[in-house]
Amino acid sequence: MRNALLALSGLLAAPLAGSLLIGLDRILTARLQSRIGPPVLQPIFDVVKLFGKERVVVNAWQAFSAYAYLAAVAVAVVLFFIRSDLLVIFLIQAVGTVFIVVGALASASPFSQVGGYRELLQSLACEPLLVLVIAGIYLETGSFAITAVDRWPQPLMVRLPLLFISLLFVMAVKLRKSPFDFAACRHAHQELVGGVLTDYSGPFLALIEVGHWFETVLMLGICSLFWADNWAAMLALAGAAYLTMVWLDNVTARMNWRLLFGYAWLLGLPLALINLFWLYRG
Amino acid sequence: MRIWAKFIGYARFKSPWLLHFDCGSCNGCDIEILACLTPVYDLERFGIVNVGNPLHADVLLVSGTVNPRNRIVLENLFNQMPAPKVVVAIGACGLSGGIFRGAYNVVGGIDRVIPVDVYVPGCPPRPEAIIDGVRLGLEKLRTGGVTLDSKDGPIGATKENHPCSRTN
Amino acid sequence: MHFQRVKPVRTTEIIVAILILWPLAAAILCYLVRSDRLRNKLVPVTGVLLTTAALLLSIHIPFSFGLEPSAEKVIDVLILSIDILLLGVILFIGLRHRHRLIPILAILQLVLIGFNEFYPVPTPRVNPIVHCDALSLLLVLIVSIVGSVICVQALAYMKTHEAHLQLSASRQHRFFAVMLLFLAAMNGLVLADKLSYLYFFFEITTICSYLLIAHDATPAAITNALRALWINSFGGLALVAAVLWFARFHGINAFQQFKADDFRSAVWLLPLAFMCLAGFVKAAQFPFQSWLLGAMVAPTPVSALLHSSTMVKAGVYLVLRVAPFFQDTFLGLCVALFGAFAFLAAAALALGQRNGKRVLAYSTISNLGLMFACAGFGTPMALTAAVILLLFHAVTKALLFLCVGAIEQGIDSRDIEDMRGLYTRMPLTALITVAGVIFMIMPPFGLLVGKWMALEAAARNLAALLMLALGSALTVMYWARWAGTLMSDPLDGRFRPESQPVLTWGALGILSFGIVALSTAVPWLYGALLQAAAGDVPAYSVHNGAMENPTGIFSVFPLCLAAGFGFILALGAVRHARQARIVSPYMCGAQQPEPGVFTGPMNQPVKSEAGNYYFAFLFGEERLTGWINAGALLLLTLLIGGTLR
Repeated sequence: MRNALLALSGLLAAPLAGSLLIGLDRILTARLQSRIGPPVLQPIFDVVKLFGKERVVVNAWQAFSAYAYLAAVAVAVVLFFIRSDLLVIFLIQAVGTVFIVVGALASASPFSQVGGYRELLQSLACEPLLVLVIAGIYLETGSFAITAVDRWPQPLMVRLPLLFISLLFVMAVKLRKSPFDFAACRHAHQELVGGVLTDYSGPFLALIEVGHWFETVLMLGICSLFWADNWAAMLALAGAAYLTMVWLDNVTARMNWRLLFGYAWLLGLPLALINLFWLYRG
Repeated sequence: MRIWAKFIGYARFKSPWLLHFDCGSCNGCDIEILACLTPVYDLERFGIVNVGNPLHADVLLVSGTVNPRNRIVLENLFNQMPAPKVVVAIGACGLSGGIFRGAYNVVGGIDRVIPVDVYVPGCPPRPEAIIDGVRLGLEKLRTGGVTLDSKDGPIGATKENHPCSRTN
Repeated sequence: MHFQRVKPVRTTEIIVAILILWPLAAAILCYLVRSDRLRNKLVPVTGVLLTTAALLLSIHIPFSFGLEPSAEKVIDVLILSIDILLLGVILFIGLRHRHRLIPILAILQLVLIGFNEFYPVPTPRVNPIVHCDALSLLLVLIVSIVGSVICVQALAYMKTHEAHLQLSASRQHRFFAVMLLFLAAMNGLVLADKLSYLYFFFEITTICSYLLIAHDATPAAITNALRALWINSFGGLALVAAVLWFARFHGINAFQQFKADDFRSAVWLLPLAFMCLAGFVKAAQFPFQSWLLGAMVAPTPVSALLHSSTMVKAGVYLVLRVAPFFQDTFLGLCVALFGAFAFLAAAALALGQRNGKRVLAYSTISNLGLMFACAGFGTPMALTAAVILLLFHAVTKALLFLCVGAIEQGIDSRDIEDMRGLYTRMPLTALITVAGVIFMIMPPFGLLVGKWMALEAAARNLAALLMLALGSALTVMYWARWAGTLMSDPLDGRFRPESQPVLTWGALGILSFGIVALSTAVPWLYGALLQAAAGDVPAYSVHNGAMENPTGIFSVFPLCLAAGFGFILALGAVRHARQARIVSPYMCGAQQPEPGVFTGPMNQPVKSEAGNYYFAFLFGEERLTGWINAGALLLLTLLIGGTLR
């Protein structure tokens, strides 16, 4: 019963929180560029408008991909709220990425195709990092279940600081933040038009937007596990991480995939490994 | 149900995404359009984002005179936009063909090819005028269904019925 | 040991006899009576019989039985003489094709066996000779059911295949005889407890593999068949060395006599390492992978049956069988590292491939590597992961191979780029292939349950964990890319399945349905069979359809329910979306009516191309294979040398 309530609250609260966060992000970004920026509810207006648009499809299977993506990330968030297994959550959110890519590749547009491959490259770069982060949490707490993190007497941050930095890499990629936003971009338009999202349109694009809200909350949730002592610290840590992302988004330029791999695998992986090595020895 | 429809109408009003297409203008109008996106005018206040992709766009801004070659592109882009959508013609050339009107190699104003909802005159129009034009278009978007649904058949002038069309 | 009276024949003995002797008899019949009609009946009948027998067997496990001394003696002599005959045949093949290594390897095995016969050491008589526990049963079920499905589908495949080749005389009698013989040998291999019998069946599978790869008799087929023969002979040599070592130095000639406490010194661990080596060769691990890649020239049912779902599993079976004995030793650690390395390396090589069958081959090597890694960790959790992977990989890979076979016959190509937009040409096959890909990389399907367990089991080993994490990411990339490519064009008009033989649809349907059903039933299967197959200690407890232990929890039933619900919802969305307005993909407005074509210079149509990222400069075979083989050789040296401490 408790789990059902938690799951329901996750399903309702996560998209709301995600949309407001993205709204805040847009305002902050605007202020950093000395603009006023859109209202905080702008992401919700965008999505409602998209739901109200004509259904236009390039390939009917894109509808399948969009729904499957949303379902996958929603299930991942629900599992997070009922404090299930982190590795399972990781595997399920990866399903979402795969479906977005399959949907993008289901269109003959070169923009969409190249966007799809880039999305795959992004996940190739950051998923090993996420696995290592999760393994680090396991080594510290002795379990992959989030309940173990809740029970853990001291903040994970104390023993896993480098893994937290690796997690920030993953977060930048998952939140489509510059400099790692080369598969699709939220601001202005880029050399790939809409990248992986080019040929999703109307309601299907709306589904993907909602999925992105879920994903944002999921990533911040994983972030907050690093200081799970009390609610204030969790919120503060997640908020700080998100602010870092917004800041990073505004001060960096887009990379190409070689640089992404350079940063993720030559900087992120060693950092994670060093931290894991402490844990093995410690 | 009506509340939901109203909400969608409001959301349409609050979140117009632009597609800007240059039908061979002298770039005067284009510079002014892009100036609207700068911090000085900050179009994002109105939720406006330049998406550059007809599949995502609600508002089509067109500048310049249509010629036989790019009219196909214009039609294609318009057809790819999901309804409801609004077309805003920018500048003298987009309105009527401007100084090129009647030339052997141009078709004329945008409305010879696709239906236009808002005309923004000027050579080039000021950013304020463009913003005002888009806002006028949004009023039409809110109620929805102003522009013909592209399911309803050929739109505006077609290759067959236009004297200036390409005939190869 | 003790004298046995003449006893009534038991059910288990009859079932085992059916499992081994019936396909053998059917094979002989197939070879002698060259009639299509007979074959078209005999193969399905064999399939049904084997399936029934395998299912019946599951009621009786665990059991073991021996034979009367006189009968066993006769069989021993028979098997020994066939062994020598087989090695003679291998020698002959090697000499006829002027191959340098095959004769040497065959002669070495002959010398070892001959030496053992001329200078025998007294060993205790083996009783039982057949032992069937849950692990054997799992393999028997895979061989008998998946194998039968593939053999029956091959009836349809080979007809088209021979029509393509325009042969003057059909050679199908030979093909099916070998396929059925192979089923018999596999069943024998997993049921035999006596090591010399194991070796005998091992050799038969080698010969079967050779015959089937060489079946089309093209120069490429012969070359690759010879390569498979010499490499597998090397595995045979390692196995015969291990078997004789155990017999001569320890007086052991059956698995049941192994005791975990003995395996603490080099004299015990070295033959065990040789056995693992034989397993690695059979499972085409690096640096022995080249035979499996070459084997892809064979007709697709062969690839599906021998080279992905069953024969290569014999290697895993062998290692899993001895896994309890190298637990917590340096050998175990080396096996784990070796397997994890193969998992990563094969995934990287698969990423650089655009030949569909080679991608499947590398993916097979990769998954087998993961199973070896799990066997090496040796914890109850890891062993559970290994058996789950074993089961689901067999079924899923069989499905994917049959799909690729059907595609190849449809479009005359194995190139992934040629499969672009296959959905418009072969919609149903394309969809089933995509489903197969989904079964490979997505939870809640069985392979991912296995991978989840493997990752959780590996988390205590930093090097292995890193390799598994990188390998999994690469795996997702090459599969997702393929699935997307298949769907890359929209279908105009109504969905109409293309025409395929009923047998092909039947096989694809049974396998897909089987994967879904088995995946949903994982918690139940775990209680009924898999837990026993993985060892004595239960690694997980099952609550409300969730597999859980203190390390983690995977809610299989709820997630399957969610996946099913999501699938129906998404399918409904597709039906709905089919009524939506279809627009052309975004091509800067210059698109033409045909998909993927835009108006180029001089108003000429230009086909847009966005080639898959294959990273040939990074993951190409030429670039990586040498390094990977070197790395694998180092690990193997470490593995064998490490036992000598």
